Amino acid sequence: MTMAASTLRRRSLRLERVDSVATDATVRHIDQLDSETLGAVYRAVSGGRPVTTAETDLEPGEVIVFTDYYRVERV
Amino acid sequence: MTQYVIIGDGISGSSAAETLREEDPDAKITVITDEGEPLYNRILIKEHAKGKLPEAPISIHDEDWYAERDIELSLNTYVTSVDTDAKVVNTHESGEIPYDKLLVATGGTPTQLPVENSDADGVHHFWTFEDARGIREHAENADKGVIVGAGLLGIDFAAVCGAQGIEADYLMRGDRWWRYALSADGAEIMHEGMREVGVEPVFDSGVDHFETDDDGHVTAAVDPNGDRYECDFVGAAIGLTFNTEFLRGAGIEQDNGIVVDEYMRTNVDDVYAAGDLTQFYDVLLGERGQNGSWGSAKEQGRVAAVNMAADEEAEGFQWVSSYSITHFDFPFLSFGHPTLGDEHAERKYSDTEWRRIAFKDGKIVGGVLIGDLSPQSKFKQLMREQRVVADQADVLLEQSVDLDELAPPQEQ
Repeated sequence: MTMAASTLRRRSLRLERVDSVATDATVRHIDQLDSETLGAVYRAVSGGRPVTTAETDLEPGEVIVFTDYYRVERV
Repeated sequence: MTQYVIIGDGISGSSAAETLREEDPDAKITVITDEGEPLYNRILIKEHAKGKLPEAPISIHDEDWYAERDIELSLNTYVTSVDTDAKVVNTHESGEIPYDKLLVATGGTPTQLPVENSDADGVHHFWTFEDARGIREHAENADKGVIVGAGLLGIDFAAVCGAQGIEADYLMRGDRWWRYALSADGAEIMHEGMREVGVEPVFDSGVDHFETDDDGHVTAAVDPNGDRYECDFVGAAIGLTFNTEFLRGAGIEQDNGIVVDEYMRTNVDDVYAAGDLTQFYDVLLGERGQNGSWGSAKEQGRVAAVNMAADEEAEGFQWVSSYSITHFDFPFLSFGHPTLGDEHAERKYSDTEWRRIAFKDGKIVGGVLIGDLSPQSKFKQLMREQRVVADQADVLLEQSVDLDELAPPQEQ
């Protein structure tokens, strides 16, 4: 049970609003995301819902440009 | 060994080059561009102009990317003509480049306002990374702005002015922003977003001419009503002129862009086109369409390359595009062809939420979502399925869309 929960946590992502972007960051605009990933980003930003790696192609560490800048972080 | 030549290193040309290398490992591939740098992220250059994003993350490929894939990249190279009989691309300084198959992916250039002093210092057009650098540098020192062009490109200038602290007037010819896709209700949400960042929409206006000082720097815009708007920064975005001049005499059919079928083929053998300069046959729309979105351009390049390499009708282009505006506190997304269709349904939900759906023959062909993007994937799904749903618009206009509430699709 503990391992399963731990695995699940590792596969969860959250979006952290950031004010600036490092020069070596990977940055994508939401128009570069597929419909499913775009929907997941919108739900995460508007409703604070976590994102799972299975439903998106988001990469931890990258920054997504939406109405603000959001860095993808592991939960 | 097949020789492929791609003119243009935007996302469609670069996507095609990558796909061609995968599909045809032994081919000779040449990419020609008149720009001085390899592929960069054209969607993000507006963020650089706003002063929010540094340069480095905007670059996508360096020259090594091409070398590693044995793709010859020719920067700063101007194509002067194409001889489709001899199958040769003529360049200004790099001689003749022969091809077996050619892809034209040259995109467009901002159309200059046809008014007096539109070439004055301080009047900016916005398309390339180099444009963005110049706009950023000037915007950081400007105080008063004027924006011209009430569409998806013009609003980027409004965002630049807002982010850079430039107090600006946005001169629009009609009574609202993007009047071809938005009603007064939808447009007013956008107008309020502009006002909140210090940009004032001015309706039934436009530009008759610009005034300059003795050094040739813009000092004011005068609209057709005679009203004068002082400014030291102007953003003009009235549309794109497609870069096809070098195709004169090549026999390639054009109609405000290059006409291609769903396989990205022109009417001339072994000549293909991709990206925002195409008038492509849209299988979902059932007629020709045109689209300038990043995803569409990338997919067109990939599909063109698949068909070029296969030398047959291997894959047709079928795509539901998205174009977002992310400059304000609320999101904005248009999809498909929101300005087309023979029927529309819309609803306003709050001061920042509005939705409009365009139908053709009862099927969704596009739409605009402001504030609430939650139904976007469902609408795109219905569009791809080509379901007749216009008679159930009330279901689609519910705040929370449940596709199970739609009547089952009728057998064709």
